[in-house]
Amino acid sequence: MWRQFRWLTLAIAGAMFLSVVGVGQLADLPREETLILSMLTGRVGTPSNFNEWVGWESRDRGMQNLANEPLWSVDFATGEIINGLAAGDPVYSSNFYHVEIPLREGVAWSDGTPFTADDVVFTVELLRDTPGFNNHAFFAENVVLVYKMGDYRVGFDLKQANSRFHQTFLDRWGCTWIMPKHIFEGVADPITFEFNPFVGCGPYKLHSYDPAGYWTLWEKRADWAKSPTGILYGEPGPTYIVFQAFANEGAKIVAQLTHQLDAVDLSAEGLKAALAQGKTIRAYQPSFPWVVNNDPAITGFIFNTAKAPYDNSDVRWALTLAIDIVEYAGQAVDGMGTLSPVHIPSLGSYPENFIKPMEGWLKQCTLDLGNGETFKPYDPDAPAGVIAYAQGRGYVVSDDPAAQESAFGLGWFKYAPEAAAKLLKKNGFSQNADGKWLLPDGSPWRIEVVSRADTSHLEFKNASAAVQQWKQFGIDAVHVPTDAAATITQNGDFDVAGNWPAQEPWGAGVDLYRVFDVWNSAYVRPIGQLTNGNHSRWSSPEMDAVLARLRATDPADTAAMIAIGIEGLKIAFTEMPGTPTFGYIGFVTWDEYYWTNWPGSENPYAQPYSHWGPFKYMTPFLEPTGN
Amino acid sequence: MKVLRDLLKDYRFAVSFTILLLLLIFALLSAFSPYDPTFWWHAVRDLRPSWTHFLGTNSKGQDIFWEATFAVRNSLIISVIAGTVSRVIAVLVGMIAGHRGGRTDRVLMFVTDSFLVMPLFLIIVLLAMLVRERMNLVNLGLLLAFFGWAWDARVIRSQILSLREREFTRTAALSGTKTLRLVMKEYMPFATPLVFSTLINNMAWAIGMEITLAILGLSNMDVPTLGTTLQWAISYQALLLGLWWWLLTPIVLAVLLFVALYWLSVSISEYLDPRTRTQRVGGR
Amino acid sequence: MRFLRRYLLPRLIQYILVIFLGITAVFFIPRFTPSDPVQRTIAQLQSFGSYLDPASIDAMVADLREMYGLEGSMLQQYGAFWGRVFTGDFGVSFFQFPTPVMELIRTSLPWTAGLLLWSTVLSWVIGTVTGGLAGYYSRRRWSKTLDTVAMVIRPLPYYIFALTLLILFAYVVRLFPIAGGAAIGRRAALNWKFIWDVLRHAFLPALSMVLLGTAATFQTMKLIVQNVNAEDFVQYAKLGGVKERRIVSRYVIRNAMLPQITNLALALGQILSGALITEIVFSYPGLGTLLYNAVVTGDYNLIMGITAISIVAITTAILVVDLVYPLFDPRVRLM
Repeated sequence: MWRQFRWLTLAIAGAMFLSVVGVGQLADLPREETLILSMLTGRVGTPSNFNEWVGWESRDRGMQNLANEPLWSVDFATGEIINGLAAGDPVYSSNFYHVEIPLREGVAWSDGTPFTADDVVFTVELLRDTPGFNNHAFFAENVVLVYKMGDYRVGFDLKQANSRFHQTFLDRWGCTWIMPKHIFEGVADPITFEFNPFVGCGPYKLHSYDPAGYWTLWEKRADWAKSPTGILYGEPGPTYIVFQAFANEGAKIVAQLTHQLDAVDLSAEGLKAALAQGKTIRAYQPSFPWVVNNDPAITGFIFNTAKAPYDNSDVRWALTLAIDIVEYAGQAVDGMGTLSPVHIPSLGSYPENFIKPMEGWLKQCTLDLGNGETFKPYDPDAPAGVIAYAQGRGYVVSDDPAAQESAFGLGWFKYAPEAAAKLLKKNGFSQNADGKWLLPDGSPWRIEVVSRADTSHLEFKNASAAVQQWKQFGIDAVHVPTDAAATITQNGDFDVAGNWPAQEPWGAGVDLYRVFDVWNSAYVRPIGQLTNGNHSRWSSPEMDAVLARLRATDPADTAAMIAIGIEGLKIAFTEMPGTPTFGYIGFVTWDEYYWTNWPGSENPYAQPYSHWGPFKYMTPFLEPTGN
Repeated sequence: MKVLRDLLKDYRFAVSFTILLLLLIFALLSAFSPYDPTFWWHAVRDLRPSWTHFLGTNSKGQDIFWEATFAVRNSLIISVIAGTVSRVIAVLVGMIAGHRGGRTDRVLMFVTDSFLVMPLFLIIVLLAMLVRERMNLVNLGLLLAFFGWAWDARVIRSQILSLREREFTRTAALSGTKTLRLVMKEYMPFATPLVFSTLINNMAWAIGMEITLAILGLSNMDVPTLGTTLQWAISYQALLLGLWWWLLTPIVLAVLLFVALYWLSVSISEYLDPRTRTQRVGGR
Repeated sequence: MRFLRRYLLPRLIQYILVIFLGITAVFFIPRFTPSDPVQRTIAQLQSFGSYLDPASIDAMVADLREMYGLEGSMLQQYGAFWGRVFTGDFGVSFFQFPTPVMELIRTSLPWTAGLLLWSTVLSWVIGTVTGGLAGYYSRRRWSKTLDTVAMVIRPLPYYIFALTLLILFAYVVRLFPIAGGAAIGRRAALNWKFIWDVLRHAFLPALSMVLLGTAATFQTMKLIVQNVNAEDFVQYAKLGGVKERRIVSRYVIRNAMLPQITNLALALGQILSGALITEIVFSYPGLGTLLYNAVVTGDYNLIMGITAISIVAITTAILVVDLVYPLFDPRVRLM
């Protein structure tokens, strides 16, 4: 018996020895010239298919963020719009029926063919004429004619006046990209065409990919100077870039701790674990709250305004006032979020352009509690409460008021359960002997809050924090995490849901049309019918009027855009179809063992995510450490 | 009582019986819990075990000790329901199929095999998604029972098959004993150890399945069970954050529960089986 | 001839019926879940950032319904499904549109088969051998110790066990890679480098599965052997002075193997579910996560593809075992 054991031991020892000798995660690639990033969206389902114009195709595996240049990109950290394949702003005719776009010269596709207006014309005609593409309907509805005006200028004749037509080419997290005509024109069926290998105008080209979908490897082009990135910012730092998917967060953290992963998105606890154990690991902010807080989205929850009693704005306000935001923020995200009392996040230029000008109005805004009583809900001291909570938890918070404002927001609503109670009683609600709330018809009030099932997602965190607050208030609230959350909210089969309370703004500029369009009355559908825009099923003639005015205003007229935007925000604030809580926070960690000069909060030269489009513009700034 | 004393002579029974008794008391303590398990934030987060919080607190601000009492109680409820209901089905199917033979046997075995063959995991996942928050303890127990009887039905059937051919059965049948009486009187003594050990195995399997389902995010996370407590600890990265007291509690409790059930089943079936009873304690 | 008519034919009919029923069940159940795959795709596109204005979305819904083959009533879809399946065409995956289901399965299957097949067989072999010996010598101290060890290992939640192994051997002591089936940038080829790479990546997942699987098989086999050991004919053989070697191999093991072989068939059948958590912890590219994602996203075609293959595989395994059983067990032969 021992003889067999000896062989076994030798075999295992041999395996171990050889695995030490073997290479780490990379096969034959120089680690110090390679940047390893984690895939945000998980394993690639269609590894050999790079046709990003149909379906999803995991664009963030390097297509949108490395190899494909859009006409323009939004960088929400700097608030800039970056010219990619376009050479400048679009030029509209005065009636908005015609637009011309200047294109950049000196750009070549990664296989060497020069980029010209022919590619743009080809792309738009193909998308307009072929059903099955994601953007087919948009172009079919809007474009009569597209034509080139010289090699580097493109013109469009539109079916209807649309001052925002060009925004389809503006990359925020997806847009209409340009196809290489010389590759697509010979293809019989462009819908099932796999476009493998991917060819783009970005500074990197496809090297190889995992047929099982766990990694995609990109290599710097030799002619990187012929990509807009190279033209604008210079040579990218890393020679190779890998996007790798991990199936669980523990593995991601361990990978980063062993210097096999340079940038990764984690959860709140994952971030804490990585920072605690890694000596070369840093977060976006160098100190508490650490998080990426300039991601242009506002989180919170929405009410189903087509269902009683949530069709009553008093009830919605009561539920909002029943929330102690300090506890709520502590429960959901350990205090790390930036509060916002309006339906846009408090970041970038939005506080200056919208929230601060509104503060006077916010402070004056009054709710009628019935019996002649009134109440002013706005509380400019709410962020101070969150700061006190954070300090109580042992975190170090900066004393600088500007830093505090940018990290914790300008204000929120008061925690006013008595006012909430009065609002409810005014509308026929009552409490029983145990303090539990009853609906006007006498039955116990039960709220089901739906959210997606992923425990680290902010929908989940918001929903479970809201449930805890309402339970304390005396309502039988229950959290229902489910993977079918998207369908359920589209169907209208819910009371309250953890969806974002408003559509995400651009993150740059002052055009809030996107934000308000979600409440367009055209998208309202009754409960039981699927709606794809307006989950809360709220609309009002006033909001529709705001939308109409925005459509008719030139987006370049900043003052007018801000004024109308503020009007829209006031309407949303008064009606509260959804409650905004804090801005989206990302938990990004960077390992500085191999690469440094990341765009942290102290040096925000670019947006910090590696999966967003503008990441390619970060690559020329990353510096190797020499390890 | 003599039975109990005899059983206790086997150290395995003694230990497992004690553990189970302690766990039962632990579960019953949940009735006295000062905290509602569905409320969070009633304690300071992430505290180590101390005199105020015997097992510390977790990242949701709950006292782990009292949370665990509910967890053990709920897991026991699920596994008892799963185990007993599936026993009833398995015994009925196995006995009838084994004894009757012929077409009844074939039909019943066809049904059993269909259940064995179904990717039961997949179906549990699908059904769990279908039911979402209506997945309470009883429903989960019934769901697991529905899929846990097939294998044991087959086992019982083959035991009955071999018993059927034996001398005593033929004797009893020939002397005119009715079927039901025959089944109860002649088969049960041999089948009971089998039924009992499969019951306990099934309970242990149910606990394991419940933990797996919770880790995959399919259970109702608001209801504290061993599985959901573990899943919360995992999603809050307890392992990498060093919150060992939160992680170890459900694991140690699950191990204790399983060990107790396993030793209990082994020692009781050895006791009930006349051949091994004398061997257990050295032939006394 | 009698054997054929009385045993084989009914068994074959049962085989076909079970497959038919199983596939039908898996066809219909997902269609009763509240999630609509078309809506899910659109939700996914939106959540991953495509700004689709609501007007275009309505147009997309019609397009997608047609491309997914969701037109027509459920019965019509059912009929169309059986028409396609005999050519091995399970349609295209909804969520990974437009990749055909068979292609997705083909890419992931070798990893699953390679890792899990070997782990299951290995743990079965080790567990059966050690369990058999421990069952026979159940009075010895080493047998009891092993039993206690196995008993403590078995209920450990697999996720924690696997994650601990990962942390111990990929972080604390950096011996093995953290994720994946092979190194990044490694092209699949039949050379030593690739094979070695695959082995390195498979070692930890295999170790975790083998350890836990062996514990379970060990205990099961031990119990079976103990029961057989207590049978009269074994006692008689011992008293009759038959050589111990012969008793162990001819009397005990041979009888204990029968239920164990059935166990192996079933274990192989349950591969997919057991594999799921392994693949999650070690980011291993197998069918388990593919199937789980399919279930969660309501990807009917992919669910059908993987499940149909698994049902056929398990039923065939059980059929083979059942047909081979009479050769080993004379008692069944006479029935």
